[in-house]
Amino acid sequence: MDKHIFIEPLARVEGHGGIEVYIENDMVKEVKFEIFEGPRLFEQLVVGKDPQEAVAIASRICAICFVSHTLAEIRAIERALDVKVGRKIHLLRKLAHYGEMIESHSLHYYLLALPDYFGYPDAIAMIRQFPDEVIGGLELKKFGNKVMEIVAGRRIHGENLQVGGIGKIPTDEELEWIKLRAMELIPTIERGIQFWNEVDVPDYLEEETIFISVWPEDGTYDFRADTIYVSTGETYAADDYQTALNERVVPHSFAKRCRYKGKPYSVGALARILNMRDRLDGLAADYFKKLYNERWHKNPHFNNIAQAIEILYCLEHIPKLVDEIKATPLEESTRGRDTGAGTGLVEAPRGLLIHHTEMENGRVKYADYLVPTAQNLDDAEKYMRNAVKNLLKQGVQDLELPLEMIARAYDPCISCSVHLVKVIKK
Amino acid sequence: MGKPKIGIYGLTGCAGDQLNILNCEDELLKLFDIFEIKSFVMASREKDENVQLDVAFVEGSVSTEKDLEELLAIRKKSKILVAIGHCAIYGGVQAMFRGGEEWIERYKRVYGRENAVTLSKPLEPKPLSAYVKVDAVLHGCPIEKEPFLKLAGKLAHGVIPRTPDYPVCAECRWKENECLLLKGQICLGPLTNAGCGAICPSLNIGCIGCWGPIREENWASEADLLVEKGYDIDEIVTRFSVFGGTERAQKLEQFLRSRKEKGNG
Repeated sequence: MDKHIFIEPLARVEGHGGIEVYIENDMVKEVKFEIFEGPRLFEQLVVGKDPQEAVAIASRICAICFVSHTLAEIRAIERALDVKVGRKIHLLRKLAHYGEMIESHSLHYYLLALPDYFGYPDAIAMIRQFPDEVIGGLELKKFGNKVMEIVAGRRIHGENLQVGGIGKIPTDEELEWIKLRAMELIPTIERGIQFWNEVDVPDYLEEETIFISVWPEDGTYDFRADTIYVSTGETYAADDYQTALNERVVPHSFAKRCRYKGKPYSVGALARILNMRDRLDGLAADYFKKLYNERWHKNPHFNNIAQAIEILYCLEHIPKLVDEIKATPLEESTRGRDTGAGTGLVEAPRGLLIHHTEMENGRVKYADYLVPTAQNLDDAEKYMRNAVKNLLKQGVQDLELPLEMIARAYDPCISCSVHLVKVIKK
Repeated sequence: MGKPKIGIYGLTGCAGDQLNILNCEDELLKLFDIFEIKSFVMASREKDENVQLDVAFVEGSVSTEKDLEELLAIRKKSKILVAIGHCAIYGGVQAMFRGGEEWIERYKRVYGRENAVTLSKPLEPKPLSAYVKVDAVLHGCPIEKEPFLKLAGKLAHGVIPRTPDYPVCAECRWKENECLLLKGQICLGPLTNAGCGAICPSLNIGCIGCWGPIREENWASEADLLVEKGYDIDEIVTRFSVFGGTERAQKLEQFLRSRKEKGNG
């Protein structure tokens, strides 16, 4: 049997993507994860801009991970210009980052990923059967948004986080509210994590892969570092990212592609949690131990539950973080030079994000951005190929939903999409 | 009369406007109740593109031939087309032309060569109005929740809302903020569409103009003030171009240079 499957647009993801599969004589000929999102040429848009402008532009790469893009750009420029900021600023940035993780993960876990496993087209349709889960997800999402609004200035594209400091420090009342609300929401996410037990995780795609994430130097589970860690044991300094992650252009995607030593790899919550699992603590560590098994290394569906555990990790760490912010005095920042180069390494909710910026006389001269979804595309294609191969063997005809679920498990930020699923039989 | 049929669409952009619709956590269920949502790909797998729509909300800029085909199809089936967000209304930061250089040259610098990606032909990013009639706009980068809900409410009752045409500067005064321009910071508040609640100036950060230039803006007066405060022409022109487009920045540059030659600058 020959078959052409074309899923376009891919629904419940951020951005415009599609999946195309060619089957000849019951064999998979080709699987393509296509990115239709048009080219915006951000690396050119920032050239000639000053730090405030460059950060504002970089934020616009993506609405849902604008804090990560903002922080990566700030980090790159601060390293390029040898800017030193005090501890209070670092802690506030971390709090904004937690807000983004909570918002983005809860949107994805509850509203974009879970409906598929229970046969619903969306979360609104799922609400009648699972009201607590859906409403709980919305509550968590709202809290993440509120944290970003307070610390980063807005729910999307807030400008409060700046190179060398911050526009306005949140008030003690606002910080206290964040702390209390985080503690209140812990049972909500615990329920969400337990809900994963109801999910029947598909096994027709399993294969080992490589996981890449940041490797925080202070030994904590964190979303920022100057070192890249590969699950095969190697580490790389941030500035050597190009050697480590070979980026290339393919004809079927406006997003570039990456491989590690010629092999596809995974970035995101699952990569982080597997690479840094010994660094988890509290309830997050307990739930991880309870749910973890060998399949996590072979199946991107587990990225969903990894996200839920990260929400819990962030909520558990917010109270301590808030106390520390309040107790830390603000220091003046310093700037060492006007010309230089720097690399900013952070974890966006959906994986490793790298901004490399070269500055000349205080303005951007050159920029290179490497986004998480570009790194995940080859890995996703690998699993889709496995799924098609095995499902065909089992005689399964309806391949669209299984393929969409794999794509969605990566929480792709194509910046937006499903639409029509087209199956063309020759 | 049944529920109004609507569609929510995204062309090339950051998806922030659709995301802020999803961010109406408390009102989301009501929204799904008031309207019959025929297409909202970012939120649901279920959709029907073969019906006539009362209202289509479209975010993003037209940046590929596929974007253009989709926009034309949406226009054809929609009674009212609302452009939401800076990309749809002005083309977004990606429509910021720099130094009069050809777009394709910039494309080659990022992708290596002209036809590197064959999926759909890339086009220089442009706003919706470059190709189709737009019936209403909702400013923002991204749009804010409250103005969106107000707009949706009016549309639900068959009213096409007027666009507010006062600047961020007005909202900043209502908040009784200290003026950043008078303190010597670059702030585009006097020239930028209001609606954000003067959020950045309230954080001591000069407005960067992300909601786009207002109609009948007095940029000459602001440019004069900035020159008086000691900013050089390149700095002013660059800042104006981020969310304002090149055409405006070029006019501004000509104006400032001719002033300088006359000795007034």
